[in-house]
Amino acid sequence: MFIVDDLLVRPFVGIVDTLHTLALNELYDVEAIEDELKENQLLYELGERPESEYEETRERLEAELELAREVHEDLASGRVEVKT
Amino acid sequence: MTNRYVYGVVEAGDGVDREIDAVGGADRIYTIEHSRLGAVVSDIDTTEPERTDEDARRHDDILRELMDGGERTIVPMQFGMVFDNDRALKNVLRGGRPAFRRALSDVEGRVELGLKLVREEGAEVDDDAVRGAVDDELEELAADSVEEGLFSDRLVLNRSYLVDRENREAFDEAIGRLEAEFEEGGDLLVQYTGPFAPYSFVDVHIGAQ
Repeated sequence: MFIVDDLLVRPFVGIVDTLHTLALNELYDVEAIEDELKENQLLYELGERPESEYEETRERLEAELELAREVHEDLASGRVEVKT
Repeated sequence: MTNRYVYGVVEAGDGVDREIDAVGGADRIYTIEHSRLGAVVSDIDTTEPERTDEDARRHDDILRELMDGGERTIVPMQFGMVFDNDRALKNVLRGGRPAFRRALSDVEGRVELGLKLVREEGAEVDDDAVRGAVDDELEELAADSVEEGLFSDRLVLNRSYLVDRENREAFDEAIGRLEAEFEEGGDLLVQYTGPFAPYSFVDVHIGAQ
């Protein structure tokens, strides 16, 4: 039974793990957030975005970036538990 | 504070020792020389400086000031390069000597300038035609250029140019013509920045090995 369980269950969990990791990567996409930060800066410098909106957006994106980096560190270290 | 924060590398003899607001709260920059090269440094109490806006600006300002007037050529380092002892830094100057000399020769008498073209919200722009117009004006005046990332959907072009100081005025004039042309059309915004230390044209990353 152990062997059957192992063969049937482990590949399934492996796929779910992978999908979950891909979803996390998309949700916490460090590069995309960094790009948004740069765009925010650029539009502010060009006078396209008022200072209040620029500051608000910057604070939000910096918080998102910090969280995204933490999630990736946790993923890399195996500290994130994938529940299926 | 025994760690050394590195701004860039110069020829020995081109060094500096002056009081200035530096990264991490330091108030002086100076030069550590070895193997006929000099590393421009300040003291810092950490080996992992946080990249705050203020310190990033200080790093850039110091490099710009070191280059000011074109009397000194510097191979700029990216923000955050720290050595925890002078011997390690000197070893890198010795080991990286050929690469530093090559980089110094590549950027001597030259500055980096940035050009970004941004489409107005909702505007339709022929990207290839725009790039063609830019190349016609700037290609011959620049010693080199590199494409930077298109980090926004609104960016049509994001490029860094390496320009000889003697061509700087002509380059500014060419940018002026492009600005007039694009902004008259009403579809493009132009952002022209610099001069910067030529970060984009040196490929020397010290401390990585």
